[in-house]
Amino acid sequence: MSAPALEAVGLAKSFGGVRAVDDVSFSVPEGSLTALIGPNGAGKTTLFNLVTRLYEPDAGEVRFRGRPLAGLSPAGIASLGLVRTFQSARIFPGMTALENVLAGAHLHVRAPAWRQMLWLPAARREQRELVRSADALLDLAGLLPFRDAAATDLPMGAQKLLEVIRALMARPRVVLLDEPAAGLNDAETAELASLLRAVRSSGVTVVVVEHNMSLVMGVADRVIVVDLGAVVASGTPAEIQGNPRVIEAYVGREAA
Amino acid sequence: MEQAIQTVIGGLLQGSVFGVVALGFSLVFRVTGAINLSQGAFCIVGALAMYSFEVSLGWPAWIAAAAAVAVTAAAGAAIGAATFVPALSRLPVSSMLILTAGLLTTLEGLSLVVWGSQPYALPPFSGEAPVTVLGVRLPTQGFWIVGAAAAIIAGVWFLLMRTALGRGLRACAENPTAARLMGIDVPRMTLFSFTLAALIAGVGGIVVAPILSFQFDTGRLFTISGFSAVAIGGLGSLAGSVAGGELLGVAEQLAAGYVSSLFANGIALALLILTLLVRPSGLFTARRTRREDVRDEHRIYHPVVRLRGRRAVVFGLGAVAVLALLPWIVPAGLMSSIVITGILFIGVLGLDVLMGYCGQVSLGQAGFMAVGGYTAAILATNYGWPPLAGIAAGIALSLACAVALSLVTMRLRGHYLALATLAFGLLVDSLTVGMTETTGGPSGLVGVPSFAVGPLDFGSPVAMYYLVAALIVVLVLALLGGIRSGFGRALQAVRTDQTAAAALGIDVPRYKMAAFAISAALASLSGSLYAFYFHFLSPEMVGTARSLEMIAMLVVGGEGTLVGSLFGVALLTLLPTIFQPLALYKTLAEGLLLVLAVRYLPGGIFGALAQRFLNPPARAAGSAP
Repeated sequence: MSAPALEAVGLAKSFGGVRAVDDVSFSVPEGSLTALIGPNGAGKTTLFNLVTRLYEPDAGEVRFRGRPLAGLSPAGIASLGLVRTFQSARIFPGMTALENVLAGAHLHVRAPAWRQMLWLPAARREQRELVRSADALLDLAGLLPFRDAAATDLPMGAQKLLEVIRALMARPRVVLLDEPAAGLNDAETAELASLLRAVRSSGVTVVVVEHNMSLVMGVADRVIVVDLGAVVASGTPAEIQGNPRVIEAYVGREAA
Repeated sequence: MEQAIQTVIGGLLQGSVFGVVALGFSLVFRVTGAINLSQGAFCIVGALAMYSFEVSLGWPAWIAAAAAVAVTAAAGAAIGAATFVPALSRLPVSSMLILTAGLLTTLEGLSLVVWGSQPYALPPFSGEAPVTVLGVRLPTQGFWIVGAAAAIIAGVWFLLMRTALGRGLRACAENPTAARLMGIDVPRMTLFSFTLAALIAGVGGIVVAPILSFQFDTGRLFTISGFSAVAIGGLGSLAGSVAGGELLGVAEQLAAGYVSSLFANGIALALLILTLLVRPSGLFTARRTRREDVRDEHRIYHPVVRLRGRRAVVFGLGAVAVLALLPWIVPAGLMSSIVITGILFIGVLGLDVLMGYCGQVSLGQAGFMAVGGYTAAILATNYGWPPLAGIAAGIALSLACAVALSLVTMRLRGHYLALATLAFGLLVDSLTVGMTETTGGPSGLVGVPSFAVGPLDFGSPVAMYYLVAALIVVLVLALLGGIRSGFGRALQAVRTDQTAAAALGIDVPRYKMAAFAISAALASLSGSLYAFYFHFLSPEMVGTARSLEMIAMLVVGGEGTLVGSLFGVALLTLLPTIFQPLALYKTLAEGLLLVLAVRYLPGGIFGALAQRFLNPPARAAGSAP
């Protein structure tokens, strides 16, 4: 069997005296759609930040398709094909929606800057092709009407979807989405669910931190439950729903 | 030995004042998170006011000093209430930096109007005769300086650490939103800290004035020294500010005494770079892990102005036609100023790539103009190089300087590039003034030949005009090509959110460096053309005042638009030419325009025009295909 798409072994991180992540190990199979769930403050986002090396872990390591990520910069990790989004939609202000999506294609721009500056045919052709694939993604997410609007003028839900397709524009092998459904209304959540299914069926591995249970149970094929900085359970959505430790993590222990 | 002790003591005295200015930086930074570049100007306002009261009006020294401090604090309170405080809640931190650069220019301009450009000196408070302690002669003024500095440090420390007001100030620094929810009046706290910083700068300026000569623009030297001191000691650390100030003061005096006073400014730059390399958080503060997953700039004020397709081509061709016909339209007397406008625009264009697109503030753009200008002019004048080769050499040297500065600063977040470029500009200032044999010193380099390529001579204004206009068209087209493609998108991503940019695989330091290199190269080209056109180059034509002016031109014209700054350059170059008697008010007007533009005119003149006439912001409903 080949190496998992993403694998964490014994990850730990403390802030001051708080153990945000404590000896966490998990693995994400290639081509799966894995959801990372857990109550607020469970350490999900910290886990994402450790995987993408925004934080240096105190212990443990992360392997991407078998390759350890230690020593790589966040940009270096992205160039391997591991791309993430952020909890608060971090679209780039001062640019249009289309330009935001195009910025996602950064790793696939082949024409060097001087060719772009000379308006050489190869650079212009590449630009047209990138615009075409950005338009296709905007269409897929239902954002085409916002194409030329300033990205910051978009409604919050649209901004979050925009950030997701910006990450997809980087053609990742594994995409990490941090609470993509937060702030989305029902219609937008449905849009997101179909987008996620389309992404997975195109062969991209998806890891999503999410609170919206109906979304998670509807699209994920594997669920990892985190509480108090540690993995509590993992399995298929059906297995997780019946797990008493998961219920405990969410609703608390019954008074004995 | 005795001389060494004297030098060190002189350094400690000067360092005390740097420390006081640095303390003001730290105070405002702690409360607001913003760097206030106008800090040093309040020293000089205090000193100049003291001169007026004590020498011109003949008031007793202590009444004059009290009045001068009151004037400085009142000026600080008024300026803070009118600009700094209301802007703080609306502008991103980098715009606050530009706003305070505007305040610095405004205060310098105001001092120029009130006190003129001549240097001033104050008599020592307690007579000229020095006191001898253990065989070392100490100037009596030294006791005043050290005493005042110690009183200020103790007072600020007590205020912050031991009073309820101080707790409120510290709460604002930690978390303004939470502080507001807890009932702390954040704007009032901000105004208080700004005013207090102005007041202590005023006191510092007044006590140090008797040991130096000062004029309307000496304030920026205090700003750079105080800013360097605080960066060396650690932003926000009170002890660090003072220690950084003393270190810098002693190092500068030793360099001036034993090497050459030319390099006193260089020492500030060297110490600063060393600190940034070894310990970027400063020598006296603990390293703190910053939260990487929050955004750098919460607010961006640029309107998105885009001209597309046929419309862009029509406007572009129209602009080229106007450029081609201009010499037939405008009176011949104005042609020279228009050429200068074009030459300066090339330098501002570079600044736009760096500031407007990449979000990095440079306060030393004219320093690169000086490098390019002097290199090309000296090679062409003294060594007979062809002008083109001189320009190329200037650009190469500028690029080398830019790479050196950016290797140190590009990996750091915050305003280190602004600081390093300001120090660089001041170093270039003192080198061009001091290296008299090569540069001609303060009176300038004369006899620079016209720009010529082989037999083609561009001596006349019209010939130079067409050369510059053609260059501008080529440069704007090239930059436009880069900006509309992957290169420009990467720069703009870095401008607002470096973490998100890196998460998409954008090599952030590399793009910052590229933007800085482009900006330095264009400034260098602009400086060379400037020298060839005037047949002359003097330090003040390409000094720090020019750097600040170029920022004003860019922001007033419109950042991040490539062509917008042409409005700003034209406004600030042509108006003083047309209305000669207003020349005295030029600096003041530049400062005020910059402050007003940062505060009220997002996108500058170009942004306002474009939104009004060309491109009403594309709304979702209106732009559906």
